[in-house]
Amino acid sequence: MKLHRRDFLKGAVAIPFLGAFALGAEKNIRKQVEANIIDYNARLKIDKLNAPYEKLTAPTGKDGKKIRVGLVGNGWQGEKLLQKLGYLHPDEIEKHTKNGVESQWLQDVRAQENFNVEVTGICDVFDVHSERGIEISKNCVLSGTNNNNNPAKFYESYRDMIRDNNLDAIIIATPDFTHAPIAIDAANAGLHVYIEKPMAHSIDDAVELKKTIKKTGVVLQVGHQNRQQMSYKISREIYQRGLLGDVTQVETFTNRNTLFGAWIRDDAFDHKLGNKDNINWEEYLYNRPWEEFDIKRFFSWQRYSEYGTWSAGNDFAHWYDCVNQILDLGIPESVVAIGGQYHYKTHGDMPDVFNAVFNYPDRGLSMTYDATLKNGNFRQSRILGSEANLDIDSAIRMSKDRNSQLYKDIRLPSDDHLYYYEPQMDIDAISTATSRAYFRGGYGPTYIDGRIIDVTFLQVKEWIDAIRGVGQPSCDIDKGFEESVTFNMANLAYVHKKNVTWDSVNERVIIG
Amino acid sequence: MMAHNNIFKSGYSNWQIIALTVLRVLIGWHFLYEGLYKVISPAWSSRSYLESSTGPFATVFRSLAETDALLQVADFLNIWGLVLIGFCLFIGLFSKISAYLGMILLFFYYISFPPFGDSYSFAYVDGNYWIVNRNLIEIVSLFILIVFPSSHITGLDRFIFKTNRTGSKID
Repeated sequence: MKLHRRDFLKGAVAIPFLGAFALGAEKNIRKQVEANIIDYNARLKIDKLNAPYEKLTAPTGKDGKKIRVGLVGNGWQGEKLLQKLGYLHPDEIEKHTKNGVESQWLQDVRAQENFNVEVTGICDVFDVHSERGIEISKNCVLSGTNNNNNPAKFYESYRDMIRDNNLDAIIIATPDFTHAPIAIDAANAGLHVYIEKPMAHSIDDAVELKKTIKKTGVVLQVGHQNRQQMSYKISREIYQRGLLGDVTQVETFTNRNTLFGAWIRDDAFDHKLGNKDNINWEEYLYNRPWEEFDIKRFFSWQRYSEYGTWSAGNDFAHWYDCVNQILDLGIPESVVAIGGQYHYKTHGDMPDVFNAVFNYPDRGLSMTYDATLKNGNFRQSRILGSEANLDIDSAIRMSKDRNSQLYKDIRLPSDDHLYYYEPQMDIDAISTATSRAYFRGGYGPTYIDGRIIDVTFLQVKEWIDAIRGVGQPSCDIDKGFEESVTFNMANLAYVHKKNVTWDSVNERVIIG
Repeated sequence: MMAHNNIFKSGYSNWQIIALTVLRVLIGWHFLYEGLYKVISPAWSSRSYLESSTGPFATVFRSLAETDALLQVADFLNIWGLVLIGFCLFIGLFSKISAYLGMILLFFYYISFPPFGDSYSFAYVDGNYWIVNRNLIEIVSLFILIVFPSSHITGLDRFIFKTNRTGSKID
């Protein structure tokens, strides 16, 4: 068949179009790809943020001396803290092993950094929990250790544990009212202290504890693990670089809508096993006015102002430390508060509706705390600046102010943020709805130095490293003091229905 | 001399061959651009697309997304399938087999987000569809190109496949 020119033209008719396509397609693709990559640094007008590049501290366990740790208060949080040290109860190990195969969670626990600590003392007034604690102390599951440790010694009272010369450090996870007293005793005996939040049940306790820690020089870390959450570290850098402008409002919230969320926990966990015979009621009451044995006052202690600190101490204290980490607010000059107990009337005197306003005239801002126990829609903390807003939990959403001067020329699509940060997580690791909420509050894991690590673990690690002389605790006695004074001022303002002022010279409050 | 007449009677009118050629080139352009975008775009993967799939085969697609080895194969075939099918349709080379393969590829897109009205995800879609969506229309368009071939006239297949005097392809 002879190829005629017309044949060729007809057969090759698409080729010139392909040529035109080839000329334009690559350029257009690159343009589209560029448009999808958001350069947040350009939006914020900075070269780069430094916080995300932080490196983890090297382990101090191998070359350091072994640290003997005692735990007082082996409840929900107590067991979690033991897990961070590498210790698990046998039934947790069983729960995470199916047909001889260990779950990812258990494997991760085994792979945790070995702090070279030994749990040598357990103290809990509830026999079921103290027995669990002893069992746990026998099981260090970290890889490279054997599962058969000597069990920790059991102590009926924390005083015995402190005086026994069996500890170098103590973890305090008791109900709030004994946090500071136990810490004071422990520090005076030369023990380093990991104290759960909130640090102190009253301002007097906080003042006394601060004096003791400064005097004894022991290493104290308060359990505000948000200090390890990358989102708060980044937010701090954003604020310090002036990217928010002048901050005038800080908003914090509590939203709970369940019995458990409202701290009614008589039937939660293994609490049904508690009774007059397996709870050391007198030891529990410490120096509080005598009451007949009442299971509600033991398991739902947060709801009673004698033992707990209400939502201000349980929840606000956490959000306060988060914003304090970002803004270095310190103690407010004055506080007002209102609210009441309208819905949950069977357990204690905790208000279900609570609003407090914290006045910082020297910072030109005020902070609010709005709490309800009858609405469960999570509201994250907000910082309002003259140039931009910051919405923060484990993620950061920064939106530009409509009248911003700094970002006047930045054009954004309506649903886009000036800056957005999300820790690089395997979303599948967060399973249930409740754990999602926990995670949103800045608990759970964070992303640092290329790894996904639990923040409580990092908070404990920081304390252990500081005990060995490496680094400092992020939530030290001064930060703990600020937390305790601030939230206690709110509770006092509510109780007395008056303006409460802080006298920083004499370290006391003035009511009215 | 009539035997060497190069103007073949194809059985199509001029407008028909123009229409079929334009359709072939446009679908080729569509596939080729989509494929090249994925080649050039850094670290493109169909993972998030497959993980949010809906419909009766959602679990199959999700497990494909979660198995790294399978996902790599799927991504490779997807990207280079789009490029080759698009290129071939565009210039009219091996158009029949390309069209069949294109139908299969589009069928996978269709069935991973089938517009069946119930658990239909609107994440990757603009417009309102029921059973019939653009994927389905493009699948049928490719079928039209198969039963009404044009590449033996206006494509490079003209130089590959012998044609008889009436311009019908001899397979």
